[in-house]
Amino acid sequence: MTGRDRMVVMGLILLAVIAGGWLLVVSPERKQAAQQEAQVASARAQLQGAQAQAASARTAETSYESAYTSVVNLGKAVPPLQEVPSLVYELDQASHQGDVDFNSFSSGGSSSSSSSSSSSGPLSSSAAPAASATPAAFTQMPFTFVFKGSFFKLARLLGKIDGFAQTASGGSAGGHKASVDAGGVRVNGRLVTIQGVDITLEGGGHTAGQAKSAELTATITATAYVLPASEGLTAGATPAGPAGASASAATSAAPSSPTSPAVIQGAP
Amino acid sequence: MRAVNLIPEEQRGGGAIGSRSGGAAFLVLGLLAGVALLSLLYGLSHHKLESQRAEAESLTQQAQQVQAQAATLAPYVSFMAMREQRMQAVAQLVASRFDWSSSMGELSRVLPSNVALTSIQGAVGAAVSTSKTLAGSAPDAAGTVASSTPPGAMPTITLSGCAASQSVVAQTLVRLRLISGVSAVTLQSSTTSGSGGAGGSSGGSCPSTDPVFSVQVSFNPLPTPSAVSAAAASSASSAPDSTAGSATASAAYTPAGGVAR
Repeated sequence: MTGRDRMVVMGLILLAVIAGGWLLVVSPERKQAAQQEAQVASARAQLQGAQAQAASARTAETSYESAYTSVVNLGKAVPPLQEVPSLVYELDQASHQGDVDFNSFSSGGSSSSSSSSSSSGPLSSSAAPAASATPAAFTQMPFTFVFKGSFFKLARLLGKIDGFAQTASGGSAGGHKASVDAGGVRVNGRLVTIQGVDITLEGGGHTAGQAKSAELTATITATAYVLPASEGLTAGATPAGPAGASASAATSAAPSSPTSPAVIQGAP
Repeated sequence: MRAVNLIPEEQRGGGAIGSRSGGAAFLVLGLLAGVALLSLLYGLSHHKLESQRAEAESLTQQAQQVQAQAATLAPYVSFMAMREQRMQAVAQLVASRFDWSSSMGELSRVLPSNVALTSIQGAVGAAVSTSKTLAGSAPDAAGTVASSTPPGAMPTITLSGCAASQSVVAQTLVRLRLISGVSAVTLQSSTTSGSGGAGGSSGGSCPSTDPVFSVQVSFNPLPTPSAVSAAAASSASSAPDSTAGSATASAAYTPAGGVAR
């Protein structure tokens, strides 16, 4: 073996030793470092997601008061119970304002049919919703009512009934004063969907001009809506905070204006 | 003066260490250098690994803390979600109603003066199958609510009455098409009581010579939830005014009976 051959062999040995060290020691460490880098990126993404979630939660917390108000206002349009008395009262008020006779009211009936027949049933004033249970989020409460009045007054009355609840871009509610805006919906009363209108003329036909003042009977088939019994009006939330919120969170979400406790002073 | 090498001739081997050790010195030096390089690389990798491990741990702890904070506020988030869902449901129900009032108003405006009505029967029929059936269905992911007037349902108004003549009935048909949103006007019957028609059933006060008619006015289907959402998103100014619609329709009306549609 010449000196040159020895040098080549030693070079090869050196290379083998370095390669072995690289493969056995350095490379696994570098591989672990690369894996750990991916874990860091994952943890960073997890942190960012959690921060976004927390920011969203804080936004929800800060806007809780207005949200609670709008939910309560929406409850005027879709109450948690049937609230038949308030519905009848609103219809009566609308008919009085429109100079129309509110003749009769009966609950039940087909929820999607055009029939004006009224399958009357017992009216419960504030019992749990029992009408026409549909699997929808809102329980349908069909009813039929009869009005008497002139054509134009009846037409205006239909507009008033629609105005009980309408989109904020809609027109005037027709004389309702207590209009509250609940997130794009202007609520003046119960949300009512009119399915059918049957207007008949009492005492025979008239010309269109004469019909303006003629007495007509309008049988209106409509549907009101009730919130699901499982939810209730606010799903257990109070003005201080939603159900399940911790005391500290609820305290921070409470109205900022402190209300001093009522003190009753009795004179001796 | 001349330099003289005092080393014996046989012992002169070039003088280099490598030559003297047969190359083993180079091997040792190379090994040392290689080990040093490997150690450096290993140290750098190990340091990076440890720092990243610590960073990941720290980030995870921070994420857990933030998640815990968010969890305490979760009821607020769910309440807001409930509010959004309820608002959308109510807005959808409100927007998908048929405007009976304006339709009745337009009906009174387009009806000829020599026509008398004995009954008006309006109804919102079942949903037509232009889209998925929504009637009576549970709220889906889009928040669809079962409405008594489901989206896609077609409102119809059936008019019964009498006219001065058959030509007035024809004129009535044409004018009824001027009501905004009307998709079709169908004459069901038009007979005079003298010819054995159904005059008695439609109105007792109609003159016997006047034809008694029954007309069905069909309106466009109620908007679907997507259309309702789009309409709610747009401003109020984009909504067509019923008065403007009537004016446009009146302009399109021709006495000869042609209606530009």
